[in-house]
Amino acid sequence: MRSPLNVRRIIYEALVRDQLDVNQRPEIWDCTTCTTCTLRCPKGLDPALMLIGLRRVLTEGGRIKPTVRDALESTFKFGNPWGRGKAKRSDWAQGLNVKNLAEGAEAEMLYFVCCTPAYDDRVQAVARAMVKVFQKAEVDFGILGNEEMCCGSEMRRLGEEGLFEFLVEENLALFQQHGIKRMVTTSPHCYNSFRNEYEGRGFEVQHYTQFLADLIELGKLTFSKEVNRVVTYHDPCFLGKQNQVYDEPRAILQRIPGLQFVEFDRSRERSLCCEGGGGRMWVEASSARERLAEVRVKDALALGAEVIATACPFCLLTLEDAVKTTGAEGAVEVLDIVELVAQAI
Amino acid sequence: MDIVVCVKHVPDTTEAEIAIRDDERGIEKRGLVFDINEADNYAVEEALLLKERFGGSITVLTVGPPEADETLRMCLAKGVDKAVRLTDGRFEGSDSYATARILAEAIRELGRRPSPIGYDLVLTGIQADDDGCGQVGVTLAEMLGIPHAALVISTETEDGKMKVHRELEGGLHEVLEIELPALLTIQTGINEPRYASIFGIRQAMKKQIEALDLGALGLAEEAVGEAGSKTSLVRLFIPEVTAQATILQGSPEEVSSELLTIFKNEGVI
Repeated sequence: MRSPLNVRRIIYEALVRDQLDVNQRPEIWDCTTCTTCTLRCPKGLDPALMLIGLRRVLTEGGRIKPTVRDALESTFKFGNPWGRGKAKRSDWAQGLNVKNLAEGAEAEMLYFVCCTPAYDDRVQAVARAMVKVFQKAEVDFGILGNEEMCCGSEMRRLGEEGLFEFLVEENLALFQQHGIKRMVTTSPHCYNSFRNEYEGRGFEVQHYTQFLADLIELGKLTFSKEVNRVVTYHDPCFLGKQNQVYDEPRAILQRIPGLQFVEFDRSRERSLCCEGGGGRMWVEASSARERLAEVRVKDALALGAEVIATACPFCLLTLEDAVKTTGAEGAVEVLDIVELVAQAI
Repeated sequence: MDIVVCVKHVPDTTEAEIAIRDDERGIEKRGLVFDINEADNYAVEEALLLKERFGGSITVLTVGPPEADETLRMCLAKGVDKAVRLTDGRFEGSDSYATARILAEAIRELGRRPSPIGYDLVLTGIQADDDGCGQVGVTLAEMLGIPHAALVISTETEDGKMKVHRELEGGLHEVLEIELPALLTIQTGINEPRYASIFGIRQAMKKQIEALDLGALGLAEEAVGEAGSKTSLVRLFIPEVTAQATILQGSPEEVSSELLTIFKNEGVI
């Protein structure tokens, strides 16, 4: 999306001229907190923090979009932003024989599923693929079942700092109670939160692409089938730009037999954001112009890719939407890396 | 404009697995998440919007257990001035009539104080999500001896007079002029309720919530609870799935085409 958002103008109006009316600037909600501006800032600033600060003013004032309000209220009440009951959080794992650490089982590693793979029909397939791959590699892991709770990453970026702090306290207590020492996450957003924003955490955290790349390297995860498809990789901003995990996802894809890997022109540090971050899953953009995810799909078609692989629940959903809105269904498919891995074992 | 809003702290049951208590007179509340009754949330917002325009004060009342303070604190965080909780073991089992009597007596009690809390308007939600009776509001108006309008979807205030819009069957709307003080039961969708942030709710912990019991209201024991009620709950149960229900299975395409065939065969379309 080409947004009217001009973060330098907003900083100037707010800090230099002191005349910014936050209620009249809907583009404050356009930022996806991808941090491209931070990476490119010649003065070493972090402009996204300014926008999150302005969102805090709006959220504390209570006058926010109903979709944002509902996501925040749901997270406080049910521990997820999708308005779904706590009692249904682990329904996706039924019949998969996964240990539940919240019910007293013990394991070396926690698989932190995340709200979106837990509840979203499409992304549940990613969580199930993850279980299949972990079981094939004989990983000793468990989940927290219905006790798992939102990491708070998106709540903080929607300007709800109090809710974020509440979730940090609740999660740290939960992890401590169940003796969690190691954790692997589905989502780069949970990974980023736990790694960089949970002060005083007593556990190690990896994104699953790091963990799987290690397993493959050590020969603990081997492939037995070919995936004969042309695949490109879309870097999730919270994995790449914010945590410099660029090589592991590519290393996994390149080890899958039969898979032909092609690189987007805009990749790694220059990767285009899908627009699903920064709470944007619950905010409609202020501009109706072409969305970046649609640009991404068109670029993939031009590359001759049959599959856009990614490693983030939000990227998966926004890119899939863009495949539909650009009429590219049947020409290109969006899959999570772990789904391709599951096809190859 | 001084406004009293009556709210109820109810379990959110949309996504929960509901279990009936052994005595069949209630549901198992353990593990359920409680929140303000949906329609009452719109009533609180309407009061806040009126206060923003005309000034005055807002008092929220609830009949409920100490846990209902969560709902009251959320109201205080949004800008409500005073919260009163009406709690007494003897209130248990009250039907809509007895509940309205407790609320009416509390409103009178607040008005009798050395620094009285009066009202120009009493607002309630149209009905509670848990029992769905929809009677407390209008019964309360009758007990207070003030006019009421039910199912209100918008309000206009000019020169001390209030006009209320009501939605009727068949898509009709009517506008009533109502003399104040009055009671309105508020329909969901009348406004867009604001968000109460966690910091805001924590700040509201500093504000006092007043609790009043049977004695404080000067009500007789026979006037409340089951003794003071006109109706009593006989049995609560989950209806059995009958043979007429058919669950369609298959992919979304298969299910929708099968559904279409059924609609056609049954003459629905």
